[in-house]
Amino acid sequence: MSNKTKPLIVIVVAVVVAAGIAFYLSRQSTTTASVASSGNETPIAVNPGGGHIRGKATAPVTLVEFGDYECPSCGYYYPMVEEVLRRYPDRVKLEFHHYPLIQMHAHALAAAMAAEAAGDQGKYWEMHDLLYKNQTQWARNPNPESQFLAYAANLGLDANKFMRSLKSPDVEKRILEDIQRGSVAKVEGTPSFYINGQALNPLPKGVDDFAAIIDSTPQAAK
Amino acid sequence: MKQRATAIGVVAFLGMVDALYLTVMRGVHVPCSVTGGCNEVLTSPYSEVLGVPLSTIGLAFYFSVFCFAVLDAFEVAHLLRWVFWLALPAFVITLILLYLQAFVILHFCQYCLASAAFVSTIFLISAWPRRTTQNLN
Repeated sequence: MSNKTKPLIVIVVAVVVAAGIAFYLSRQSTTTASVASSGNETPIAVNPGGGHIRGKATAPVTLVEFGDYECPSCGYYYPMVEEVLRRYPDRVKLEFHHYPLIQMHAHALAAAMAAEAAGDQGKYWEMHDLLYKNQTQWARNPNPESQFLAYAANLGLDANKFMRSLKSPDVEKRILEDIQRGSVAKVEGTPSFYINGQALNPLPKGVDDFAAIIDSTPQAAK
Repeated sequence: MKQRATAIGVVAFLGMVDALYLTVMRGVHVPCSVTGGCNEVLTSPYSEVLGVPLSTIGLAFYFSVFCFAVLDAFEVAHLLRWVFWLALPAFVITLILLYLQAFVILHFCQYCLASAAFVSTIFLISAWPRRTTQNLN
């Protein structure tokens, strides 16, 4: 074997071994994550019920999202989801569920409570939009409550009522129920999306990916 | 066989596995038991450049370094100097990515930290003054 053949063989073998290890590890990683999405053996609780609905209630396609207002990935996906709803005003509705990753995000629960507190005064989605659009500002604030209050004021909410809801055990209970729904649905991270019962795994990379899935989803309601 | 090139080759191989794994897992929730912030980092806007995932760029880097190291180790060509010139910008980019994780994304990805360690090691070995390592070669 010539001296020039040996390194070539080493390179080819190394690439094959590296690819083998990487694919093996990726299979190990996705096995658990996709048990739910495989659909056949273990149907996932993809129609959790409850949640906040945005869009036409009669829309045949339901996009379920488990989200965390402090999670940067959720902030990244927020404009995509909005664009999907704009693109399919009659066909798609969003069902949003709180899934604050409390151990990682110090203010995620408080933000979810702020959204619910605004919802108590009929402005849930307005606060939802403000929280995502201003995520990088309040998430860095050691005490974001004052910012939530400012958002509430901007939305014309009653400050006292808002503060009461923000501290209310009932509001917290609603969020904990959503977390429970997420646990049943085997949510592993945020955001997690489901379209008419099917987990989107891998996550769509853009609006066009969402659109392709929606276009191939049967019109039948969930 | 040259020990310095071999060491770089081994580290580049580990980097290839890491980068390949992240490339395959692009868009999928990855397990993240050590740092907890992988998915935040990997789906952030900083995870790609002009639509090309950083993991793919990293894979191209590790593959090139690995090939150079193997060719050098087998004395087909003396390419460690080129490894240094590849590793230098990679090291600078690594520092920027560490900054972004710490101060902008506010989360750390264990796979990215491993890659940072691999790039730094390759850079340090390739930058090590030749005189002090001549005996090793």
